[in-house]
Amino acid sequence: MLEIKDLHVAVDGKEILKGLTLSIEAGQVHAIMGPNGSGKSTLSYVLAGRAGYEITSGSITYNGEDLNALKPEERAAKGVFLAMQYPVEIPGVTTLTFLKTALNAQRRARGEKEVDAMTVLKTVRKRAAALKVSEEMLKRALNVGFSGGEKKRLEILQMSLFEPKLAILDETDSGLDIDALKLVAEGVNALRGPERAMLVITHYQRLLDYIVPDRIHVLAKGRIVAEGGKELAHELEAKGYEHIVGKAA
Amino acid sequence: MNANAHWLDERRAEAANRFAALGVPHRRIEDWKYSDLKTAIGSANDEAAASWAVGALPDGVELFDLANTAAAPEWVRAHLGTLPQNALASASFAHARAGFALRVARNKAAGPLHVEFAKSGSIRVLVVLEEGASLTLCETQKTDGYSNLGLEFVVGVNAQLTHIRMAPHAAGAVQVEEYAIQIARDAVYRAHLFNAGAKLGRAEFQIALAGENSGAHLSGVSVLGGMAHADVSTHIIHAVGHTTSTQLFKHIAGGKSRAVYQGRITVEQGADKSDSRQTAKALLMGERAEADLKPELEIFADDVKCAHGAAVGDLDANSLFYLRARGIPEAEARNMLVRAFLEEAVDEIADESIRATVWQAVEDALPGAMAP
Repeated sequence: MLEIKDLHVAVDGKEILKGLTLSIEAGQVHAIMGPNGSGKSTLSYVLAGRAGYEITSGSITYNGEDLNALKPEERAAKGVFLAMQYPVEIPGVTTLTFLKTALNAQRRARGEKEVDAMTVLKTVRKRAAALKVSEEMLKRALNVGFSGGEKKRLEILQMSLFEPKLAILDETDSGLDIDALKLVAEGVNALRGPERAMLVITHYQRLLDYIVPDRIHVLAKGRIVAEGGKELAHELEAKGYEHIVGKAA
Repeated sequence: MNANAHWLDERRAEAANRFAALGVPHRRIEDWKYSDLKTAIGSANDEAAASWAVGALPDGVELFDLANTAAAPEWVRAHLGTLPQNALASASFAHARAGFALRVARNKAAGPLHVEFAKSGSIRVLVVLEEGASLTLCETQKTDGYSNLGLEFVVGVNAQLTHIRMAPHAAGAVQVEEYAIQIARDAVYRAHLFNAGAKLGRAEFQIALAGENSGAHLSGVSVLGGMAHADVSTHIIHAVGHTTSTQLFKHIAGGKSRAVYQGRITVEQGADKSDSRQTAKALLMGERAEADLKPELEIFADDVKCAHGAAVGDLDANSLFYLRARGIPEAEARNMLVRAFLEEAVDEIADESIRATVWQAVEDALPGAMAP
């Protein structure tokens, strides 16, 4: 589904990703682990199409298509979803209005029929309950005054509403206490399926106790320096990044 | 003029002298730094009579045509031309032969009343609300050429005046309007402005909170594109204590347009327990657009609350990316963010149908402001 080959990405002229290669099949959950500054967020932003992230060489192929040729909104319509590390607060746009606008924009782009406000509300309510996203939160301005945990739960609610094919979770665990983490992980696990691929990006092994990946890649200094099964997370936790990064260098 | 009009001659002569002494404002005068009137009007003058039309009069409202000053009733004689006048208000008072006066009788709740201005030249308007009266005045500014409109609002004890001012886009027009407003004890004046800009457009408010527990609440949005210019300059004087003023202005400036807000607050000596808040924000949609926001405080009392804030910025790149990453196309995402930016100011309007009218005007003006 996703094939990244020898990807080099520069931000403000500085190379951050230096030859990253990775491929994910439908139905799989992969994790990217890495220390601060390894290029994790750059990878997530370049996949979502954020301006200012320049691909200097290499390629990203998504379902046979050059992902880099697509605008962020086109990627979303084609099933790419990035759960952001820092969801943005947007005063003046209510959460429910935003969800309806986004859902219908994606449907419109895919040539599907738009859904009315009532149907969106019903669908959102059903999914919100499991994530403990309250009715009151849906009426508030998007992310405004939400706690860290509420913001992350809303990201997962969006993921469940938009039903993406490729979900990228950028440090979804950061800033969460253990109860919030479990809630978010349950939400993510409920969305695992044979049609869907997930890329879970995290600094800590803790999240991977709850979202168990099929494969782990260790990112350091812009490259994948180690790969393995779920047990790699525990090795990292026990021995630290320096051990593995150092060995690879 | 016959002898009956004598009461006005003296006031007009004084105004003419004031204008002669002050002259047409230009950008070297601090208050006109961002709006160069002299250059904009060139050789045009305001001596013609602009036109006005007043819609159906609600019950309890009396209308007097100022073309017939000799027959002016006592309430017109008592108030017309009595509030403070700057250079342009002096000019409109000295030159205007057209205009009207409105009075809302004691304890009458009237409105909405629609007023429209057109053509070029001067007009004089007097609005008097007697004790306990209320009125919603919906003004539409459609003048062309150079127009200079001088309005006086006398808001009596415990009266309520809500003033909606719609100024749709007028590319070639130079539109100047001065409002002199006096607010008595327990009375409230509310103004909601919409500007799409003109060649030069300026709405100038000189508001005196003259009685305890009076309030002035101003809000507005400007949505400007192309070469449009819109200037809102306010001066609110807290003349006595226990008075309140709030101002909230949001401006969108695209193309090569210019949005100006100057807000001066004066709290006079002894006007303790005055409370004043003003916020002005502008979003620049074009690299050559300009916004000038200048809040100013002059406080001569000790026990007052005054807060002000001004900010000029671009559309937030993080917000834009977030919306696009959720599938919302760029143009739609930008529109969403712009509407969200304006919403707080539009929401100040209590009446739902007026709010809808303002939103429609915003929708009409937005494509021009968003165009590169």
